[in-house]
Amino acid sequence: MHVHRDIVLEGRNLVFAYGADEVILKGDSFEFRGPGLVTVLGPNGSGKTTFFKVLLGLLKPQEGRVLVNGVDVTGDPVKAGRFMSYVPQLSSLRRDIPVTPLEVVEAALRSRGLHGRARRGAAVKLLEEVGVSEVMSRTLGELSGGQLQRVLIARALARDTDILLLDEPLSGVDPRGREGLLELVREIAQRKLIVMTTHDPVQALKRSDYFVVFNRGIVAQGSPYDIYKLDILRKAYGTVLEIEKCLHVL
Amino acid sequence: MDLRWFLVMGGAALALSSMSPIVAARRLGFFASALPHSALLAVSLGYVLSRVLGLDPFACSLLLSLPISYTFTFLLHRGVDAEIATSVFVAFTSSSSVAAMYLVLTRFPAEASLWSYILGDPLLVSWSEALTILLLAALLTAAAVLVYEVEVMIGLDADFARVSGVRVELRDYLLTTMLTLASVGMLRVVGFVVQHVAILLPAAIGTRVARNARQLMLVSVTLSFLAGILSVALASVVDMPPSAVYGLLLMAAYVLSLLR
Repeated sequence: MHVHRDIVLEGRNLVFAYGADEVILKGDSFEFRGPGLVTVLGPNGSGKTTFFKVLLGLLKPQEGRVLVNGVDVTGDPVKAGRFMSYVPQLSSLRRDIPVTPLEVVEAALRSRGLHGRARRGAAVKLLEEVGVSEVMSRTLGELSGGQLQRVLIARALARDTDILLLDEPLSGVDPRGREGLLELVREIAQRKLIVMTTHDPVQALKRSDYFVVFNRGIVAQGSPYDIYKLDILRKAYGTVLEIEKCLHVL
Repeated sequence: MDLRWFLVMGGAALALSSMSPIVAARRLGFFASALPHSALLAVSLGYVLSRVLGLDPFACSLLLSLPISYTFTFLLHRGVDAEIATSVFVAFTSSSSVAAMYLVLTRFPAEASLWSYILGDPLLVSWSEALTILLLAALLTAAAVLVYEVEVMIGLDADFARVSGVRVELRDYLLTTMLTLASVGMLRVVGFVVQHVAILLPAAIGTRVARNARQLMLVSVTLSFLAGILSVALASVVDMPPSAVYGLLLMAAYVLSLLR
């Protein structure tokens, strides 16, 4: 049985750059507490995926540390993976080989030491939980964007970690699918810490507990009322149109 | 007809085709098609070394082939683009294999038959060679089936595999080892010319007809095995080398899969 408890994902003075010109983190610090939903807002190309890779230990920061509940996981994906699982952007997933959602989730369940019928049963249950059990025997290439996102969420849940990182889960999903997906994310956020990126400030507004505005480093962080201010959003996005929509919703 | 011919051809077909879905999942097609060059180099050098040191030529070839292939994996891990790494790999192995073959043909002309490695000749394999090939084929097929699920997981999304505790870089070396041993070990049977067909085509057919990853492996292995057995039976009828018949049968299967 999953025990509900506080989860803390912390970054301390993180510095990461691909070269002298491409700086993504500039000594940034943060503390995300869960269960709950943290949204990282930022325009396309702002470095959100790189930020996630640093959190997951897939990229090692030049300076600073990443801690989960006080445990240092910096630059170590295996160690970080004990606490975190993630859902990548759809564009990074291969769909040209015949693999079914059931096989994808079953493979992820290996890390929990499940085998045979127990593993299959657990995989089916997870796919039911995210609402895609009816397509579990199709190939990934035959699924819609929304269905695929749900399969990837089931795969991430299969690892039973306290933290889930979702990279642009709403991209490539139709508007109706987005609403359902956000509901699912919100539901999972009641028992886990979810950190989600999005480039669209309007989508995330109503459902998140904490916001980070990101553009080559953390621009601002806090509650919606702290963040959804014209000067802060303009600093990240540069344009006014989307921002005005947000302020209107707020 | 000799049972040995069917055994070695079937064994080679199994070993190479079981690698095929893994190569497709991991996008190692370029490397797989370059491997026969490396295998020919290893066989030629292994032959020279065995004559000089009095060792078993097959064992020498297997041992020599691994460091050559690891260089390719090392280049990939150093961030070199896969296509460039393959070009460098092919440039080195093909040039060196020509030099090594020249050495063999000029120094040991009466003793060595490189033609059997170039065209493939299961009909000239002795019983002791056949047993070695079969043992290696059985080991490689079993290994391929065992690692398949994780390799597909890495192929789909390597980063997810990493955070799931899979040591992807170590797996790369394991896979390189398996592919190299399959390539060198089965070179005598299927030959340099047709070998990359045996690694690439089974999965190309499988991806067209399979509905899941398990089926992909099953289709690849079954079709290739049947083509291997049938090629020996048909070779004498059509008066062609078995490896040529095997390649053409696989090609016919691919064309048929396009009709689906």
